[in-house]
Amino acid sequence: MRVFYRKRVKLKKNNRDQHNDAQHLKPLYSDLEQNLEMLHMLYDDCSDVVFRSFLIAGKTKAQLIYIKGMANIEEMDSNVLTPLMNNAEYSAINAKSLIEQKLSVAEVTKLESFNACIEQLSIGNPILLLENEQQGYALGLAKWEKRSIEEPTGELVVRGPREGFTETVEVNTSLLRRKIRSPQLKMKSLKLGRYTQTTIILAYIEDLANETLLEEMTQRLSRIDIDGILESGYIEELIQDHSYSPFPQVLITERPDTAVSSLLEGRVVLIIDGTPFALIAPTTFFALFQSAEDHYHNFMISTATRWLRYLFCLISLLLPSLYVAIITYHQEMVPTTLLLTMIDSREVVPFPALIEALLMEITFEGLREAGLRLPKQVGAAVSIVGALVIGQAAVDAGLVSDHMVMVVAITGIASFTVPRYNLAIPIRMLRFPIMLLAGTFGLVGIMTGLLAIMTHLSTLRSFGVPYLTPIAPMKGKDMKDTLIRAPLWKLNTRPHFTGDYNEYRQAADQKPDFDKGGEE
Amino acid sequence: MKRSIAICFICMAIMLLTGCWDRRETNDLAIITGVALDKTEEGLIELTVEIHSPGGSGNRSEMGGDSGGGKNKTILQTGKGVSLADAMEDLDEKLSRQMLWSHAEAIVISKAFAETGIRDELDFFVRHPEPRLRSYIFISDGKAKEIIALRPSLERSSSEVLIKLAESEVLMKVTLFDLMEMLKGESGTSVLPMVAKSPREQGKAVLETVSYINRSAVLKQGKMIGSINDQLTRGVLWFRNEIKESIVTVKPEEADGYISMDILKGRTVLIPEMDGHRLKMTVKIEMIDDVIQNQTDWNLKELEKLQMLEAALAQKIEQRLTDTLEIVQKELKADIVGFADEFRRKYPEKWKKEKADWEERFATVEVTFDIEAEVLRTGRGSAPQ
Amino acid sequence: MIEKGKISALQMGILMYHAILATGILFIPASVYDAAKQDIWLSPIWASPVGFLCIFIAYKLNKLYPEDTIIQYSQRILGTFLGKTLGLILLLMLVTSLSVMFWQYGEFVVSEFLPHTPKFVIIGMMILLCASAVHGGLEVVGRLAGMVFPIFFLLFLVIIVLLLPDIEIKRMLPIMENGMMPSLKGSLVLYTWFAQFGIVYFFLPFLTNREKAMKFGMLSVLVVMLTLVLTNIVVIWIFGNVTENFNAPFMSASRYISIAEFLSHLESLVMAIWIAGTFIKLCAFYYTVVLGTAEWLNLSDYRPLVLPLGLVIGVFSLKAFLNSSEAAEHFEIVSKGFMDTLVYGLAIPMLLLLAAYIRKLIVRHKGESEK
Repeated sequence: MRVFYRKRVKLKKNNRDQHNDAQHLKPLYSDLEQNLEMLHMLYDDCSDVVFRSFLIAGKTKAQLIYIKGMANIEEMDSNVLTPLMNNAEYSAINAKSLIEQKLSVAEVTKLESFNACIEQLSIGNPILLLENEQQGYALGLAKWEKRSIEEPTGELVVRGPREGFTETVEVNTSLLRRKIRSPQLKMKSLKLGRYTQTTIILAYIEDLANETLLEEMTQRLSRIDIDGILESGYIEELIQDHSYSPFPQVLITERPDTAVSSLLEGRVVLIIDGTPFALIAPTTFFALFQSAEDHYHNFMISTATRWLRYLFCLISLLLPSLYVAIITYHQEMVPTTLLLTMIDSREVVPFPALIEALLMEITFEGLREAGLRLPKQVGAAVSIVGALVIGQAAVDAGLVSDHMVMVVAITGIASFTVPRYNLAIPIRMLRFPIMLLAGTFGLVGIMTGLLAIMTHLSTLRSFGVPYLTPIAPMKGKDMKDTLIRAPLWKLNTRPHFTGDYNEYRQAADQKPDFDKGGEE
Repeated sequence: MKRSIAICFICMAIMLLTGCWDRRETNDLAIITGVALDKTEEGLIELTVEIHSPGGSGNRSEMGGDSGGGKNKTILQTGKGVSLADAMEDLDEKLSRQMLWSHAEAIVISKAFAETGIRDELDFFVRHPEPRLRSYIFISDGKAKEIIALRPSLERSSSEVLIKLAESEVLMKVTLFDLMEMLKGESGTSVLPMVAKSPREQGKAVLETVSYINRSAVLKQGKMIGSINDQLTRGVLWFRNEIKESIVTVKPEEADGYISMDILKGRTVLIPEMDGHRLKMTVKIEMIDDVIQNQTDWNLKELEKLQMLEAALAQKIEQRLTDTLEIVQKELKADIVGFADEFRRKYPEKWKKEKADWEERFATVEVTFDIEAEVLRTGRGSAPQ
Repeated sequence: MIEKGKISALQMGILMYHAILATGILFIPASVYDAAKQDIWLSPIWASPVGFLCIFIAYKLNKLYPEDTIIQYSQRILGTFLGKTLGLILLLMLVTSLSVMFWQYGEFVVSEFLPHTPKFVIIGMMILLCASAVHGGLEVVGRLAGMVFPIFFLLFLVIIVLLLPDIEIKRMLPIMENGMMPSLKGSLVLYTWFAQFGIVYFFLPFLTNREKAMKFGMLSVLVVMLTLVLTNIVVIWIFGNVTENFNAPFMSASRYISIAEFLSHLESLVMAIWIAGTFIKLCAFYYTVVLGTAEWLNLSDYRPLVLPLGLVIGVFSLKAFLNSSEAAEHFEIVSKGFMDTLVYGLAIPMLLLLAAYIRKLIVRHKGESEK
């Protein structure tokens, strides 16, 4: 089976290579007409590609090719066409001097193959082909409509920078570069996707990122052979360690500051063209509970909020199950007075508690999903209708008990305290099997479910790093930024992933203590 | 992977198709809040349970309206049998729902029942996984069923009244666990609070009255042999170091009225001593009080007066303890004051000999008192009114 | 080596802690009380030397054969045939022991929480759960142990703190009413628990920092002893002479908790930590059985054995005892100190160590005489 699979892969690879070779790995001809013929053939039926032929100083034939809407037409007019066409003194047919003297364009790249031409065209750069030249020139005049830098909506902070990544890879790299000025910030570029040819930037800091991690990452990326990459999710799914796991093994972020702090911890960041989401690897379970602003606020407050998140994560996972287990199996745990009111409110409910809980939870999940998809104007109305009207009406109609509505509401709120959406989702999902276990075995079932999740989590790894580091395996040093958020002057070491690493990230003993020294 | 999916699927199927063996929906439960045990004339055990009746049926808003009024929402059901378990089965037949014992926090046993012995039936409550070890146990003066059938106006049910009474700790508070411990103790005696109905006020329905604790029952080897009144009960509480709340009213010798004091803190230490064949016990008491009423013309700010008051207080307590001891040692011959355990702890070797005829020996224990009373504050107004 | 993963000495210590204590915390107080009465808290102290000895012997053996588990070095010491036979005996004992543990788990859950649920479902669920962890290898088991430990310990302490209002120190008096004997007799029961430390010989070869194995092994025994002392002392402070009325006094004690009316009946908390701890314990023993079998059969991987052995153990554990009186008889024998754990935890390793030294002596002697 496996052998067969390998063969098939090889076969495919051959196909792809032929496809590449045949078409456009050829060098440019020196004859302009031939070049044009080739390009026309490649861009047959592409109405958005413009071929503009002109004469340089009325003598030499030249061709300007660009894609509509991706090139800056005004600049082309004033900086390319005008100087070239109006140049009466032009005599020497020397492309090099022509470009040096006349073209007032900052970025000019030499092109020697059709492949390069296509690549430049697809980015939006116009290309200039001259007669009797075996080279073309790509002019850095690409300009297309892009979204301006906005505040990332998925990861809001109270305190911290408000800029987020955009869909344009250049903007994103510039955001990183603006934060890390050191030339040790490396950004390797590669292209993935047979048709989309998406740019992917592998960013890391030299000496901080582990060599083997880099190798592993490059190797995994190079294995990808797919039609197109539309979003970081494509990459994520193709490079993660364990496919059959609901838990995210790669961190995604829209925030440059999160990306930078990960870079500084020795992680690797992948920026993918066409999406504002960058991937960060390796990641651990507990890193997913950290919000960017944890390090911006006072450490005591951050520690408290972090624990609040852990607590509410548990609530969001367990509360409905606990309710079901207690009300159907362990009534003795409830204080008498509370039990009596619970019983009074449940008396008219026709369903078993498990069905009641499932019903409400599924409705709530549906409501949440609907809230995401609904147009903004209707969204608010629906959530109010859903929350208030359905809840109250269900209680009045005797379908569910008051307590159940409360449980569902708290669970719903709790699931939003997890700062990462891609972690909140599996937790929400796992709630249901645990609810079934609770309905069948009570607390024993819940415990079994929890242990199963824990077992699964301990088998996971993200790029070789155990998913539950630093709790299991225990790494005492790294707990200072997991269980608590230690004060900044205590966070002297980087988290350790695998192998050797650059341990210290700051000078020791920086606790502000103004009695120690200072003025005189 | 396919295999693990199959395993998951099978597990789910097993769970969903066969599952929920032990599920008990609240709609199918009868919550027992109180239990009464009686003996019928034929010698059968009569088990009466107080069950919370869920008032949720139908009209909810109406229910919310008068929930503050302390509306009684309990029903009673009785079963009979040769043993408690047998009676329970009889009860089960009469109930449409499954019984939940875990919230039965008040257990009332009738005097007649207690006189024949409670040890055997107590076994049920200990063995059954549901009843709480913290359930309070009471002995009723008359029929236990009558106590639990009362419909109090302040609380939701009569068992709640009993629980609150026990928790106030004015007199004895004995939980199931305490009773077990007492039954297993060296002396084999136990003491339980006794409840009685307060007389009916005019114009009220027969059941609209409350129960209250006024005496304590004394049991020997699980059988009730007598009872002591509230004053003596407090004395016993002093010995057992269980005094929590007590108002002591004294009349100092030279004063023209009474002064009442409230106990803030009382601590008793029993110091046993075996001197050859003689048994001695020193009762050391430290108490801190607070004046709450002063009928005399004394100015309690005067140190001299305060010391006289303290002396009077100590004397009063000593008097009360002596009275208690008189009854307990001579009349009941029941060591409900916990001397046996003290002797065992201090003289484990010698105790083995004494244990056999402790009932006789207990009466011969010479008790000396060492009472230290302190009046901490004299209330807000210090001068006589 | 079959096992690729490694654990740290600390993880090993924690794993052993759970492997010993998980079930003990519930049953030990009651079973020791029969003999030791109010001195039950002394018994763990008398019994702990067995644990220290087990660790010491396993460590010494590991020093001689650092890369091998007991199944492998028994063949090196005693020769292939005798070694294999000893290995088989050892494995059979471990399987029996593990089956009894599963039975105990099922029996307790069924009797205490889910009286109408068929036992095979409870045991089957646990076996599947353990199998998934064991399939992940020693690393996963070690990590799980490391994760469960803080929760276990924290909840344990929380329960003890919540019990503080109810304690009455007088109840443990008089200390040593009948001399040392009762508590020593009580410690007999505990030998079986402490002897289980022997299975550490399956973990020692896979340590990242083997030089610390001794330290953490001993620490583990010490912490087990302290936890047991603490449990027993709290139980006796709470229940005194009533202790014997309960099967699982610590559970009943947590049931007795009542703080501000709301925090009451916390036995579910105890049950939660107990299930988590038992899970680790079962995983540890399950792993040793699987690894041992694979090594005994000279397989290159132990993973294919996980589910088949799970099935065998499941069947064994369901049929372990016909009824509760048979089980009671079994545990009665256990309480007198005769138990398979003593054989596989202490006797066999001791024998092997002795044989290894004699062998060494002979070899040296030969070497000298040849000279």
